[in-house]
Amino acid sequence: MALQGSSQSESGRHEQIISQFLLKSLHIILDSRIPSLSRHDLSGELTPVSRVRKSDKWFNLVLGERPASLEDLNFWHRNVMDPMIIDVILVHEGPSSSATDDLYTTSGVGVPVETVIERWVVQYEPSGTVPPQQVEAPASYKKMYQKAIVLLRSLYSIMRLLPAYRIFKQLSSLNQTYNFDLIYKVSSFGELLSRAEEKVMKQYSFAPVEAPSGRLSISLTYQPTLSGFNLAPSTPVPPNIITDYVGSPAADPLKVFPCTDKGIPATSFSFRRIHSPTSVPFQRPHSWSSGIHRVAPFKQNHPLCGSPPAHHTPPVPCHSSSPPDIYGYRIQGYRPPSHKKGISFDEHQLSPPFLPSPSPSPPTYFSSGNPFRTAQGTETAPVSIPLPNMGRNSRYTIPNSSDPNRHSLPPMSPRSTRLDLSSQESPSSGSRSFRKTDALRSGELSGFAQLYSGQKIFKDSKDDSGRFSGIVSSSGSPRVGFSRSSSRLSFQDDLDDCDFSYPFVVDDVDTSDSQTRTPEGKEASESTSQAFPSARKSQDAAVGVLVHMLRTAPPLRQDYSCYSSQTSKSEFEGEVGSGSGFCVPRKTTDALEELKSYREMKDLLLSQSGTRVIKKEEAKPTAFVG
Amino acid sequence: MTDIDFEAQVYSVHDIMNCEVCHLKELEVEEHSEIREVLRCILHTIVFHRALGLVRPKDKDSELFEITYVQCEDSELEKKIEEKIDLFIFWVEKHPNKKSQVCLSFYEVKNNKATWFTNKTERLYWEQWYINLNITKHPKAHRRKSHHSEVIIGPGDCVMEEKSGRQAALETSLHEVLFQIIKFVNEKRDHIPPVPNVEGVSFPYEITIPSSSDSTFGMDMFKRMLQTGHPTMLS
Repeated sequence: MALQGSSQSESGRHEQIISQFLLKSLHIILDSRIPSLSRHDLSGELTPVSRVRKSDKWFNLVLGERPASLEDLNFWHRNVMDPMIIDVILVHEGPSSSATDDLYTTSGVGVPVETVIERWVVQYEPSGTVPPQQVEAPASYKKMYQKAIVLLRSLYSIMRLLPAYRIFKQLSSLNQTYNFDLIYKVSSFGELLSRAEEKVMKQYSFAPVEAPSGRLSISLTYQPTLSGFNLAPSTPVPPNIITDYVGSPAADPLKVFPCTDKGIPATSFSFRRIHSPTSVPFQRPHSWSSGIHRVAPFKQNHPLCGSPPAHHTPPVPCHSSSPPDIYGYRIQGYRPPSHKKGISFDEHQLSPPFLPSPSPSPPTYFSSGNPFRTAQGTETAPVSIPLPNMGRNSRYTIPNSSDPNRHSLPPMSPRSTRLDLSSQESPSSGSRSFRKTDALRSGELSGFAQLYSGQKIFKDSKDDSGRFSGIVSSSGSPRVGFSRSSSRLSFQDDLDDCDFSYPFVVDDVDTSDSQTRTPEGKEASESTSQAFPSARKSQDAAVGVLVHMLRTAPPLRQDYSCYSSQTSKSEFEGEVGSGSGFCVPRKTTDALEELKSYREMKDLLLSQSGTRVIKKEEAKPTAFVG
Repeated sequence: MTDIDFEAQVYSVHDIMNCEVCHLKELEVEEHSEIREVLRCILHTIVFHRALGLVRPKDKDSELFEITYVQCEDSELEKKIEEKIDLFIFWVEKHPNKKSQVCLSFYEVKNNKATWFTNKTERLYWEQWYINLNITKHPKAHRRKSHHSEVIIGPGDCVMEEKSGRQAALETSLHEVLFQIIKFVNEKRDHIPPVPNVEGVSFPYEITIPSSSDSTFGMDMFKRMLQTGHPTMLS
């Protein structure tokens, strides 16, 4: 009974030793091959051997804390009879085989390839027959344990003598990144190796450790040389400051972007970034580029996989040369308006998403009403006509007929307009006459010209600023015609609905105009009637004479605001002198002479028209009044 | 931890017969740096496989070769090995261009019953390792001494290439030696004494270097004993 009890305890101990042996060997192998699982203590301060955990004292070999993955594997590997097959796989570059990769990779960068470089088989091989003396002898387990210690020491040493260890050391280096990686695979059965692999691989077996009812064995199939693999350090991406950063187009849409050599060179990025040795690395890859993590352990193993931010540059397509998304969008946003900046997609190989195609960001620049673009899109450039003493009326200087803002401008109040004009204008008949002349020069010649002049003469006496108000209110088109300067006659139609007027041309119509007209109405009507040729032929002739006079008349000055103040007939006679001090470009005598000439012309026309004109004139003024 | 014993030991036939002996592959070395690195690699590797107490392994990269060997994290052991290597190099300088051996032995201490004329502790060697080195003369020394030679000293590149080639061959040979050690320690495990519950090096060991030529090795040791007046001899 005691023997059975002792045998049971021995067998339990036996199984425990086997289980720990498997786990310890797995720990040794992975600790020497997988950088992410390596226990390398960079601090240099190790726990004293006497203070290590009991679990780490197995086989008198202190390895340090086991990685969590090993604990999981221990949990998985319950049956000690199952072999433990550990594959050390080298993930390296393979030849480029796909044309679709060309969009995102330069030539030479291939698809990652996994190659088994080492296959470890750790197992307990039970024997058919169990020698009875070995089962009964408790010392057998001690011997087995001692020999397992030696075996594991040998395993530890040989791990550092095999070719794969050099790769492991390279990957463990923090100062360099490489285009390869080591991963592992643990299973209870091994996948068949390819014939090519079997041909080149060598076998190595440790002397097994005899154990009760079996033996512990470790065997190895490995690549004797790894020189055939393309294992090279990858070009690191040092942080670089973009000195010619252009900024966001939203901040400065009108900024000119120079075309420099460092702008966007062609680069290709893979998850290893090895085939762009001459490329200028861009520090900010496209955000849309996806990381490449083919195997889950791959992420843990190497900085290239993206885990350590310091070294990882996520894979970026080859056309992702533009600095980051902003620049790519920036270029796209400016493409329509200007192609002359020297920045083109073809030249700099921007990634396809940044080509003029719908994408999240770029449309914001197109649809937001980019002022730059808007300004370019208008058919006519905004032109501001320089006007003297515009003051508050400067906003009316935009002659753009297509300007949508034009109609949004509030009309100036007639009174305010008059007040402004009064401060700027001089009650000068000369100015009035010149103003009329200017209006006539604009081509708006009609029979209303005489009426216009007559009304001006009589009305100005009442209200300087409202001299032309009557004219404005009496007729639609003439008002429009005369309410503009010579440079604005083309926009007369747009002003029909507007009550504002250009200050130097005409005053707004006011109710006071009718009042002012009242006392002068008769005279005005008379004058207008007299001035209005009844006969067409006579009218045409008169018009021709007037035109000739106007054309031959000396040029008027632009400062028409001086002439906007209208004086009445009495003013013309009496107030010219007093008002001339304000703004009289010409001498009063000249104006008087001109007035006399007009008078003569008027008399001439009247004499030719006869009484019939008078009758017609009696009916028409009513139309003007409305 | 036992001290390294330079004195000649009286081996019983029984002790020697149970001793496992391993003669390692001969290595050709020239420079002192090579000797040092070779001995470091080999000695530490062997001790690591035979120090069966609780050990924290320490990876050590060779300063001269692309080899990483493992040593026990034991400062005392490392110090002793360095001292022995220094002595050996000193001896090599005095006896250049000779084949020599460095012997690493593991033994058990047996306290024999003291008799009236002997009171010695018997050592039972259970394993010995012979490191065979063929120390050749430095080729550069030849050229410097040759005054009448018409051989023009070649450019430095040629010398370096020759040196690198030789060291590459030495590295390969050293690599094979290490594999040989691993193989031997695994094949011969039955003779190992029980491991005491200690930390670090569990078994006493000694490193023996030749103090003179092989033929006079034993006589030199006897003379030293007479000079020092070892109690074992005087009693």
